[in-house]
Amino acid sequence: MSGGYDDELSRPLEGALEASTSEGPTSPAVGRDEWVARHGDNRTGRTGRSGQLEARLRVVPWWAWLTTFVALFCLVPVASDSGYVRRVAFDIAIYMLLALGLNVVVGWGGLLDLGYIAFFGVGAYAYALLSSDHYGVHLPTFVSIPLVVVIGAIVGFLVGLPSRRLTGDYLAIVTLFFLQLFLTVTTNGDDLFGHNVTGGANGLLNADPLSFFGHELPPTLKGGLFNPAYMYVVLAMFVVVFVALRFVNLSRTGRAWRSLREDSLAAEVMGMPVNALKLMSFAFGAAIAALSGSLVTALSASVFPLSFSFPLLIIIYTMVILGGSGSQPGVVLGAVLIGILLELLRDPGDSRVLFYAAIIVGVVFVYRFSLKLAVIVGGTFVFGLVLHSIAGAVDNAWVNGSGGEGGGVADFAATWVIVPAHLVGWITPVSYISLIALVLTLTLVHGWVRVALLIPVLYLAAFVWENVMIAEPEPTRYIVLGVILIALMIFRPTGLLGEKRVEII
Amino acid sequence: MDTFIQLTLNGLTLGSVYALIALGYSLVYGILKLLNFAHGDVFMVGTFIGFGAIQLLGGTVNPIVPVWALLLLITLAAMAGCACLGVVIERFAYRPLRDAPRIAPLISALGVSFFIAYSMQLLFGAEPRNYDTFSLNGGALYTNGFDIGNVRVPMIRIITIVAAFVMMILLWLLVTRTRVGTAMRATSHDREAAAMMGIDIDKVIVFAFVLGSALAGAAGVLFALRIPTYATIGFLIGLKGFTAAVIGGIGSIPGAMAGGLVLGFAESYAQGYISTRWSDLLVFVLLILFLVFRPQGILGKADIRKV
Amino acid sequence: MSEKLLDLQGVSMAFGGLKCVNELDLHVNRGEIVSVIGPNGAGKTTLFNLITGVYQPTGGDIVFDGSSITGLEPHQITRRGIARTFQTLRLFLNMSVRDNVMAAAYGHTKAGVFRSMLRTPGMRREEQEIRELAEKRLAFFGDRLMGYRWDQPAYSLSYANRRRLEIARATATNPTLLLLDEPAAGMNPKETQEITELIELLRTDGGYTILVIEHDMHVVEGISDRVVALDHGIKIAEGTFEEVATSPQVVEAYLGTGGMARK
Repeated sequence: MSGGYDDELSRPLEGALEASTSEGPTSPAVGRDEWVARHGDNRTGRTGRSGQLEARLRVVPWWAWLTTFVALFCLVPVASDSGYVRRVAFDIAIYMLLALGLNVVVGWGGLLDLGYIAFFGVGAYAYALLSSDHYGVHLPTFVSIPLVVVIGAIVGFLVGLPSRRLTGDYLAIVTLFFLQLFLTVTTNGDDLFGHNVTGGANGLLNADPLSFFGHELPPTLKGGLFNPAYMYVVLAMFVVVFVALRFVNLSRTGRAWRSLREDSLAAEVMGMPVNALKLMSFAFGAAIAALSGSLVTALSASVFPLSFSFPLLIIIYTMVILGGSGSQPGVVLGAVLIGILLELLRDPGDSRVLFYAAIIVGVVFVYRFSLKLAVIVGGTFVFGLVLHSIAGAVDNAWVNGSGGEGGGVADFAATWVIVPAHLVGWITPVSYISLIALVLTLTLVHGWVRVALLIPVLYLAAFVWENVMIAEPEPTRYIVLGVILIALMIFRPTGLLGEKRVEII
Repeated sequence: MDTFIQLTLNGLTLGSVYALIALGYSLVYGILKLLNFAHGDVFMVGTFIGFGAIQLLGGTVNPIVPVWALLLLITLAAMAGCACLGVVIERFAYRPLRDAPRIAPLISALGVSFFIAYSMQLLFGAEPRNYDTFSLNGGALYTNGFDIGNVRVPMIRIITIVAAFVMMILLWLLVTRTRVGTAMRATSHDREAAAMMGIDIDKVIVFAFVLGSALAGAAGVLFALRIPTYATIGFLIGLKGFTAAVIGGIGSIPGAMAGGLVLGFAESYAQGYISTRWSDLLVFVLLILFLVFRPQGILGKADIRKV
Repeated sequence: MSEKLLDLQGVSMAFGGLKCVNELDLHVNRGEIVSVIGPNGAGKTTLFNLITGVYQPTGGDIVFDGSSITGLEPHQITRRGIARTFQTLRLFLNMSVRDNVMAAAYGHTKAGVFRSMLRTPGMRREEQEIRELAEKRLAFFGDRLMGYRWDQPAYSLSYANRRRLEIARATATNPTLLLLDEPAAGMNPKETQEITELIELLRTDGGYTILVIEHDMHVVEGISDRVVALDHGIKIAEGTFEEVATSPQVVEAYLGTGGMARK
């Protein structure tokens, strides 16, 4: 069942040998295990150029990867003096931390923790309470952040406690409810038995910035620009967490996590305290989330209940699933990719370029360089030009709504996609829903029928993107995440870098 | 006393809607062992279809059909629309994952939930939609009714409660008295054995989605008759519905009804006697208590762990 | 051969109204090899599940090494020195052969997560010891589970080798009592012969006391000091292989299900 076997030429041979082993009562000269052992080296490897590249990259030790990655990340503030870019780099670094933490729970512990973001919030609020004027407590960073991490771990432990005997689905619902509860408590926490604890919907303001050895780290530089020092702090934390988790995963605890994911009953009977191990992964995740929360609060100086809602949870889940749940480099890659994607979708020009790039890459990926690819690209191009000129000939108002950012891509789109000056109300839902219906139909047909259908679908997709989705970045971002999640689960559940697994005995 | 009657009435109205949603969770969970996160969003789509249908029928101030026909038509429209949606979700998001590890369809379900909620927001905006049932016949649905003590029981609540219970009874008859119902129960008991007995598992699963989603659509209309709806409402309502299913005993049809009512009453009394702010907290505590002390719910059966 | 290592005193197990094990008395002396036989559904695997704590008995007491283990969690029981294999094979299939065995050393090792994060010298020493232990346990099977296979995932092993790996994994928990659930199932005659010798070797070289469920009467005859026959959760015969095999109740229990003909 593993995809790695697909392009392996010698696969039939294995089956033949297996059959010969089971047929004869006397053991043959070479049995199945011997065969697998001898051919172990090329077992899952791909052939061809990509396979050679993969084999070469595998030789590079993990710390070299990590060092290179972090070094490149550190260069971002050097390469760009834009406060916006630096701030996005900070956000992505926080996402990386969050993804690492969620990976411990979902990827290693095998628990569907849908309350993860609540622990992020717990950390943020705990930091704000421990270092602000709210209670007049101003703990130094070296005290407050470790304290926040411990608080996060304890809360995680307590939430996990009643769930310890529950199967995956029940745990999911309990933790999801916990997230809802966290929002309820923080939103209404301005009147907790007569005390104002959380500041309610207005949140907590004026939290202290980070301070090391008596030196405060101002969140903003002169001119109100984001202070990149915060990004370096988060990056340092990321390295510490990454290495620490990697070492844990290589230890007996990591082995026990892997075992209970494979078969929790067998793990229990082999002497591993499954519930305690699950709780431990839960608390680990919560502690890392709390750490991230405290860093965000230290930068923004304020904390509001609505920053910790369901959409953020889905964002982090998509990162972990896309990168490959269980793989540390994978989830970091997922965090970077999704983080950049979400930023690009904010801007109409970037969003436009991204859309066309994704379509072209996607079609090339599926059809490689073949006749079908040529037909699709050419067909779609001509189809669009024809439709556009017909619509323009009938009424110029149908096509003169376009124009916008995106450079050459926008110029091309203006002559190709129909963008009316004013969109009639019913067109939006009808085109969007037809697009969904057609895309779903695409998965049911094959061969040249699919190619023929793909041409209008691509055009319709461009129409919907230009007319409906670019203008509404907020829902569009989340719709894209939802689609990524569903598609990944169906087509590549291991994500980009996740380990391939065999589920059949 | 009047407060108590009022709260009981509120609880009954709310609980009957929760029960309808819980039934959808239970039907699907019973057969697929899948927690269908998208169910709350199917409910949300139901509320929107009802809204759209009202506009098509001329709005509430001056509808082109009599009031009873309007209510019937919008409910049927929502049920039909949601049933189709449920089938599509099953076919394209869950069926490819039927033999995958259990976490895979759960994550796919999260994706579906998110996709539906924000597609709705993309197409129809984030602002709340009000059915404005008060305008029907100049407020007759709110002023007509009967009194218990000093508490008025308005027509609109009676409609909600009666409609919900009629649907639950119909479902109960369908599952216990018909061939397809027997097939559903057999499948939920042991899917593989049922398949070997010649039951078409795919059909049974699709049927469960049709029933569950149609009930969610009906629940959506009944809910939105009185309360404004918005694109992301499905998350919280779905959570409550699932909690009701767990409390009642997931997989059990009478359990889902009981759980819905228990949850409705608990929430209503908590809002009335404790605080509207903290009623969710109480519901959560109830869920935790059930999961820890009686995980099989009020009417469910305990599992035996087979090794 | 007198000290009782494992002692079941009137143990019962009921699922709903169905009694799978009914007031069973059974003991295993230190250093003994005891076989449990009986037709399908006699309650043999349920017996193993009761001893290892997977099920909690509805009545009676289970004493191991002088103290009661009733009500303990499975992992606590394993730590006291009972390990088992599974009839249906429950290996950690996507983990390597070596990791399967190393994982089972969890119960008697102690490096915590914080020491693991810091990779303290103590932690690294322990890790090395676990590795050596695993390799020793695997080496017990001679060239059947040879070194070059230890980095392969467990799913690549043949059926017979999976059974061997299960035994290796069980012994890595450093048990005193080993429960083997049908170790010869699905093996060819040559492999069955090997496993018979191996079980004897596990006692003499490994020093384990062994309780084994087995259907293959050649294996039972070859290894057992004592045989216990179960039917419907009740002990119907006990004694040497000859005594049990000729016991009228046993013959009846097997002929009733047609089991003896298969032998």
